Amino acid sequence: MTQDPLHTKLCDQLGVEFPIVSFTHCKDVAVAVINSGGFAVLGEAMHTPEDIEADIKWIRERVDGKPFGIDLVLPASAPAESSLDEITAQIPDSHREFEQMIMEKYDVPMPKESVDLHQWGGLSQALGRAQLEVLLEERVPVIASGLGSPAFLLDAAHERGSLVWGLVGRTRQAKRQLESGVDAIIAQGFDAAGHTGDMGTLSIVAEVASIAGDTPIIAAGGITTGRHLAAALCLGASGVWTGTLWLACRESDIDMIIKERLVESTAADTVWSDSISGFTMRVLKCPWTEEWKKPEAPRPLASPYQMILSSDYIQGANDARRPDLMTEASGQGVGFVTEMLPARQIVSDMVEEALGVFDDLVGLPD
Amino acid sequence: MDPARAGKRAECDGGGLVMGSRYAARQEFTGTLTGEYYDEGDPPWRWYKMIDLTRKPNNYPFESVWCEAESLFPIDE
Repeated sequence: MTQDPLHTKLCDQLGVEFPIVSFTHCKDVAVAVINSGGFAVLGEAMHTPEDIEADIKWIRERVDGKPFGIDLVLPASAPAESSLDEITAQIPDSHREFEQMIMEKYDVPMPKESVDLHQWGGLSQALGRAQLEVLLEERVPVIASGLGSPAFLLDAAHERGSLVWGLVGRTRQAKRQLESGVDAIIAQGFDAAGHTGDMGTLSIVAEVASIAGDTPIIAAGGITTGRHLAAALCLGASGVWTGTLWLACRESDIDMIIKERLVESTAADTVWSDSISGFTMRVLKCPWTEEWKKPEAPRPLASPYQMILSSDYIQGANDARRPDLMTEASGQGVGFVTEMLPARQIVSDMVEEALGVFDDLVGLPD
Repeated sequence: MDPARAGKRAECDGGGLVMGSRYAARQEFTGTLTGEYYDEGDPPWRWYKMIDLTRKPNNYPFESVWCEAESLFPIDE
């Protein structure tokens, strides 16, 4: 071997030392990873344009000119008609009764404040558009779309010096985005936290890499170790997109109870369930997910009905900080998250392990 | 109206933000495009209307869906 196997075209594209991308909703994690030689993308889908602008400023003040990314969930489809009040009224009594049974069986407290679903909202095209305007205005180094195709904004982004990344769950989506000229593709497999497509990480990364040409591919789904990083590079990826890895790190701002659960969990403690939102998504098992799996349970409803049904349970569990009730999105790689380490050490450990793998396989240059 | 798309069957690799959460969720649809579209903002972000849905998420409560142009894949072509 004649060159550093971890110095990839993604490193060149970004000007970073290591091809490790942290996807996080926590600004402190993002800054820590960036200042450790990696790259970070801050998830801002639920934030207002004003909050996004403030967060960009906050990060810029702490990374000394190094690049960073912002991820939005650009919708790819939207109901043609919707009224939340009408929807709420349509929830069947049988499902309401099942929800109540769970709340009583597990003594789940009601939320301290009423859950304001209108305030939560969905992500409308108009809001997505307003969020994007901030990213363009601020010339964010990397604009990532966690779902819908970002192709329509490519020219505007490139004119401002911003790179555009798209996250895909299917090869045909990657092909479409590559044809439109995105700057990198995040190929996300079934192992990932939250909602994923149904292709495994091994399969989708290899498939997308085979059609990507010079465009960097970033592997996502279940990646938490240096061995995963080495494997992803062997599959043809130029980097890894990691989420669960950072949830329990020292800088992470999620509840300590969830951090402790993550550290104790293995892949078997995650479940691919549609009981929380109506969409299948990978989360830590909790009484809510397990009750909905039972034969006597009604079939979970579609979104947004199921989210409305689960909202009191989720909020009540979080308000009461009940470890036996709480849940969080988590990928299958969670079994390797065994300590609450500083982000800098996580980056360093991942790099060292990946280099060790390459050294064992083919030997490294002196 | 986009007459070239009207009546064409297509698949949509759709989805959006899960309401009340910070997570994206995919939703797949198959149906017929009416040809109606609208553009959101500038540069235009184009959305096409799909009806006669033969595939949609379980219990999807609506008769139609707006699909982002780049997330549409024509079938029968």
